[in-house]
Amino acid sequence: MPIGKFLERLFQLVPVLLGVSVIVFLMMALTPGDPVDIMIGDQQISEAEEQILRRDLGLDQPLIQRFATFLGNAATGNFGLSFYHRRPVIDVIAERLPATIELSLVALLLALVTAIPLGVLAAVKKNTIFDRLATVGSLLGVSLPGFWFGILLLMLFAVHLQILPVSGRIGFTSEVSPITHFLLIDTLLHGRPDAFLDALSHIILPALTLGLPMTAILMRVTRTSMLEVMRQDYVTFAEAKGLSRKRILFRHALKNALIPTVSVAAIETGSLLGGNMIVETVFGWPGLGRLVVESIFVRNYPLVQAAVLFYAVTYVLLNFVADLLYTLLNPRVKL
Amino acid sequence: MGTKRLLAFASALAVAAPLSLAHASEIRVGFTLDADTLDPANHRKRETETIIRNMYDGILTRDGDMKVVPELAESWTQVSPTVYEFKLRKGVKFHDGSDMTAEDVKFTLDRITVEGAMEGQTSPRKSLLGPVTGVEIVDADTIRINLGEPWPILPAMLPFQEVVSKAFVEKVGTDGMATQVNGTGPFKLVDWRKGDSIIMERFEDYYGGATDIPPVGKACVDRVIFKVIPENASRVAALLAGDVDIVNELPAHSIAQVKNNAATDVMTVNGTRSFFIALNNESEIFEDVRVRRAAMHAIDKKLIIDKILAGNAAPISGILSPDAFGHNKDLPDYGYDPDKAKALLAEAGYPNGVDVELDTEGAFKDIAEAVGSLLTKVGIRTKVVVGEGSQLSSKWRTKGEPKTGDMFFTSWGNGSLDPFDIFVPTHRTADRGNSAGYANPELDRILDEAGVELDQAKREALYNQAEAIVNADLPYLYLWVPQDVYGVSKRLSGWKPSADSRINLHDACVN
Repeated sequence: MPIGKFLERLFQLVPVLLGVSVIVFLMMALTPGDPVDIMIGDQQISEAEEQILRRDLGLDQPLIQRFATFLGNAATGNFGLSFYHRRPVIDVIAERLPATIELSLVALLLALVTAIPLGVLAAVKKNTIFDRLATVGSLLGVSLPGFWFGILLLMLFAVHLQILPVSGRIGFTSEVSPITHFLLIDTLLHGRPDAFLDALSHIILPALTLGLPMTAILMRVTRTSMLEVMRQDYVTFAEAKGLSRKRILFRHALKNALIPTVSVAAIETGSLLGGNMIVETVFGWPGLGRLVVESIFVRNYPLVQAAVLFYAVTYVLLNFVADLLYTLLNPRVKL
Repeated sequence: MGTKRLLAFASALAVAAPLSLAHASEIRVGFTLDADTLDPANHRKRETETIIRNMYDGILTRDGDMKVVPELAESWTQVSPTVYEFKLRKGVKFHDGSDMTAEDVKFTLDRITVEGAMEGQTSPRKSLLGPVTGVEIVDADTIRINLGEPWPILPAMLPFQEVVSKAFVEKVGTDGMATQVNGTGPFKLVDWRKGDSIIMERFEDYYGGATDIPPVGKACVDRVIFKVIPENASRVAALLAGDVDIVNELPAHSIAQVKNNAATDVMTVNGTRSFFIALNNESEIFEDVRVRRAAMHAIDKKLIIDKILAGNAAPISGILSPDAFGHNKDLPDYGYDPDKAKALLAEAGYPNGVDVELDTEGAFKDIAEAVGSLLTKVGIRTKVVVGEGSQLSSKWRTKGEPKTGDMFFTSWGNGSLDPFDIFVPTHRTADRGNSAGYANPELDRILDEAGVELDQAKREALYNQAEAIVNADLPYLYLWVPQDVYGVSKRLSGWKPSADSRINLHDACVN
């Protein structure tokens, strides 16, 4: 892709982010429920003290001025103080982000390594029992509520079989000092295979729960596009040339069939972030999703605004990556 | 292929599982929420305070019966209506080894009560110390707290504040206080894995805690861990799997399961939160006290407590918990009497009944629906409408502005168990929590008088009188005080739940 196009696409990020800023700011500000009121909860407080609190949180200013301040600060990467943590929002988010990214990547990996072979197999064995089972399975995968599926896994593997831990990211005795903040990597860097297995045992259930809908979708996409490709002339031609079926499938067909799979995977990765909110709550995973949910309930404006902007950037970038991958894999498509 | 790989994983993990076996002497609490901050002066949340309180001690605390007793103080006296004097305990050490002094206590209170004392910001806990105007150091072991007006509940409010080290705060600043701890409490901070767990270990130089709460001494266990597990089902699962020893907020539908499990049990304590239904006293229907009384007679509290709350609640006939100071024990009870309810409703001019809406939060939908069906039976045809907490607050807690709904199923906490912080906000004309839009100058006068009355017997009589008034007027349908329900492991000893919902692990042991 020419560099000009690339920059143009990147530049399109600006209006998107500005739009998201306006929406998230207004949505939070217009949602009924006053942060100060929620913070005080059930306690007695005088009008004067309430005003002090309001002033300290910057809520005594008119909406338009608050928005201007927010935009000005956000442009320089300053998202203000989290109302509850009383620390910069960026710091609070940065503490939680690695856990979310690690979980999403493992879920993505799990989805890819299961969905692609299953999808290919379903296409090759079209209309057999296996194909039907795979279809039903993927339907279930898309429609099962992640929350319910997660608790089911938890009851089975953690409570009854007791082979996997119930919640959290790593056991209390497997402490390693952070290097990359990705525990699966850090434990190995410290040369602690025991701690690595511990971290792995913690991530398996949440990653399975999170990855399930994506696995189902990717499997369907792979199957469909594999069937599509196998109808193409060049496959027929290859067959006519007498090439082995394996060779046709994996050398010729799969390469082309994966194009939609890869771009769907890139786009769907964005939706993993959304699913995180539920999965992180079920498995007590200390990630960003849970923090955002909790923050919405208590109207912690600065944190929600920053987190939503982060989600928006990620989503836009992933879409961009999906387009890039598409053009790279399929030269006929232009951006 | 994929499944095979998974099975391989699973068997590898089965081998790895023993690595996470319990520490020899360690208590783990499966807790609903992480702390927001570890700075005792910079939060307004009960969960945060529960965690902090195991590392910090206060000037005063509460014993198992919720009686206020000295902790870092040795004793206290009231010098005049507006001056309290506290003798401080000697030989108390902070976790860093330094001695706690009167300077530290004064600094702690100033940090909370003086405007802008936290690097320009004002402590969000300022209002918890109401009219405190200043703290003086009398001598090395004595301080005096001065009040702007008589405020008899000062001792009841002091257990909510924890003493910090002046030198430490000056060294690490307000930023540092959010994540570092130097308290005088039974446990020291080891590691805070945000969103996941807070790990503490025993403080070997601990002075022993309040002498009124035996046994006095160092903490029993080596380590204590608060593990954050927000989801109910997961928290219960963690208890059943033996991952944690205590879980808070055990849901009613899990009680039987936890009781039936060989290694676990259930513990309960009367909570401090009163549940009630605000009736819109400004609406045409509920303006009439006969309708309000009809509604009260329609509700079978016992049935709901038994069937939905698994028996874990104490019914109330006024706003106060049976355990609260000033609770009137002789309130007439509006018994379940649907015929009387129908008659009252007809008398008020509604022989064919009325249609109303009952607002509630999602968490209480099932209870609200049960109440709704009971009301419907007598002709108050109730539709339950679910809203989100703060949206409902802004609709109902209008501080005197007009209200738009009919009924609101809600609650108010009373952590101090003193009527002051529940009666005044919910019943005083146009106050913060007055969802009913109730206005009674006579009651306002009594509440104002009780708020500054120093003679405890007279204060008690005033609140008794106030409860009698609201029991007759019935601006709210008073329902119950639910018990706090905990799931515990049977290997735990020396711990019982506290009515102020604090989880104090000082005396808890594991076998």
